[in-house]
Amino acid sequence: MKNSLIVMVAIFAAFGTAAMARPFINDKPAPEGRGDLEVIQSLLHRNLPAARAATVAIELEKGSGTGVIVSEDGLVLTAAHVSTGVDLDLTVVMEDGTRHDAVSLGLVASSDAAMIRLLGEGPFPYVEYDSEDRTRLGDWVFSLGHSGGFAEDRGPVVRLGRVVRIAQSTYQSDCMLIGGDSGGPLFDLEGRLVAIHSRVGQRLPENMHVPMREFLRYWDAMKNGEFVGSGPFAQMPSPGTGFLGLVGEAGDGGLEIQRLANRGPAAKAGLEVGDVILTINGNEVPDRDTLRKILDEMAAGQRITMEIRRESGEHETLEFRLDER
Amino acid sequence: MSAERSILLSFATLIGLASLSSAQQSLESAFRTTGAEVVAAFDTPRQVLQTSSAVIEQGRTQLAYGMVVSSDGAILTKASEIEGKTGLTVRVDRQAFDEVEIVAVDPVWDVALLRVDADDLVPVEYIDEDAGDLQHGTWVVANGATSRLARRALGGVISANAREIPAAGGAVLGLVMEVTDDGVRVEEVVEGSGAERAGLEKGDILVAIDGMVVGIPEDIIEAMGERSAGESIQLRYLRDDGEHDVEVPLIAREELFAEQMMTRNDMMSGAFSKRRSGFPRVIQHDILSNRSTVGGPLLDLDGRCVGMNIARANRAESFAIPAAEVREIAARLMDGEENS
Repeated sequence: MKNSLIVMVAIFAAFGTAAMARPFINDKPAPEGRGDLEVIQSLLHRNLPAARAATVAIELEKGSGTGVIVSEDGLVLTAAHVSTGVDLDLTVVMEDGTRHDAVSLGLVASSDAAMIRLLGEGPFPYVEYDSEDRTRLGDWVFSLGHSGGFAEDRGPVVRLGRVVRIAQSTYQSDCMLIGGDSGGPLFDLEGRLVAIHSRVGQRLPENMHVPMREFLRYWDAMKNGEFVGSGPFAQMPSPGTGFLGLVGEAGDGGLEIQRLANRGPAAKAGLEVGDVILTINGNEVPDRDTLRKILDEMAAGQRITMEIRRESGEHETLEFRLDER
Repeated sequence: MSAERSILLSFATLIGLASLSSAQQSLESAFRTTGAEVVAAFDTPRQVLQTSSAVIEQGRTQLAYGMVVSSDGAILTKASEIEGKTGLTVRVDRQAFDEVEIVAVDPVWDVALLRVDADDLVPVEYIDEDAGDLQHGTWVVANGATSRLARRALGGVISANAREIPAAGGAVLGLVMEVTDDGVRVEEVVEGSGAERAGLEKGDILVAIDGMVVGIPEDIIEAMGERSAGESIQLRYLRDDGEHDVEVPLIAREELFAEQMMTRNDMMSGAFSKRRSGFPRVIQHDILSNRSTVGGPLLDLDGRCVGMNIARANRAESFAIPAAEVREIAARLMDGEENS
């Protein structure tokens, strides 16, 4: 009994190393005939289904991009120019067409990295990512993307290529990218996520991706919803551009609403004349000036949490977004 | 699928690229996916391209590729790339043919059957009839650039599900119409349209479409119904010299108004095929071809024909007619040739 246990441990150890080994094909300058091509193909066949299942289309009001799920509870990596900002509402479309609400977390505006959180009930299909920076120049890679937007009869599009250039915060591959692929995943032959699609060269077939090391560097900041760096891939919303749509006066315990803009965000959220605003995002609002100061710091599209007291004396908490002024 | 709404990849500026140059490493072009060292691995299918693909030219301009479907000189190619062209020449392997006849055209699939005077060509061999669709990620090989004597191969993979590509923007006649006291009158005939080919002119009054009387322009739209690019409709019109019946071929709106319908994805795509939609069923692969390298066979690693390349849709998407359909189209066009 004891012996057999030892044998099993040995077998597991052997399997473990086999799984970690780098496909030998990556260390050949070029495939030497049919056998080598079939090695690439069989790895691709084996790892495509899981990679496809975790690849999602991301839909916003102004367009669509791609992303990839990297955790069972629905953390999605994409490009900053796809998520465009922090704490925005998005829709994520799975391979089979199932739609989930999602919200954008943080991003790195200077390198085009971003994170999104799925709001639906997990577990979600996800992929492992390369956390050890194992990609080398010439490695075979495959890209997935919802080119031109989600199309259920087509599915995500796969392209095969090699890593042809490595720079500090960019990989370049010869997997051709096109609009809609942005934010999509680049995988190594073992199906590990190694980078996220970012941009293309204007004339040459240059396809640029943000490597995982850039994501790992800012992982916690992005997860905490921080807007890191400035441009060119995302613009910080300017403060003072938000519109609430109400006029109030100092009242009992807060700001009493006098007038509401027709179809303004406050009216749409269900506020009524006579309601008293007790707090906005946790801050007390005793008078008009305080409200003005709070709004001056906020931008269009930002989320507002408002604690109010109705005329009936009932307390309520409303959550909605500021419109554009 | 809305190409225009997709978020566009931003273009890297030259300055951005230059700033990276100190720390970067770059793979020599010979070892890139389309490089000579990698392409050398596709020797078996390349041999098939050498003997069974054709280069269609007009003078020194390469128009398209073709695929040999019979030893006695039947060659399929992409119809819209040779349409209206005269003085075609065809090269197969090391032979050149200056007498080329366009025998038949399948307008739905955009395939033309050419005939050259030969008796020793090597036709493509198709994959098994019951093979079904190739799995995503399976290697495929197609024509790359060519020299006078040698065909070159390029490799790629099956990229997406086989599917129909509906005519972009729907199928149209190419007429601008106006309602007058005399009936629906032609105000303009769009250049390059089926209506122009059928001989319609400004001022003609439309009488009937497919036997149904036309009262208002909406009658025409209704009669067009679910028609596809490549099909034709019967049109009766009235001119000073009386009523005439003509057959008007329908084409995709996108093909007719290509420039106005350019998306930003198109602008980053280089030379894509003029006709790239309105196919009943295609397979998609990622071989980076250009407009004039379309029309040849798509092969597997054994050199068997899995399809016929029919469109370069954009910089990242190429379409091929699946083998089963190509086989049927070839048989039908050659059969029509015998019967005529």
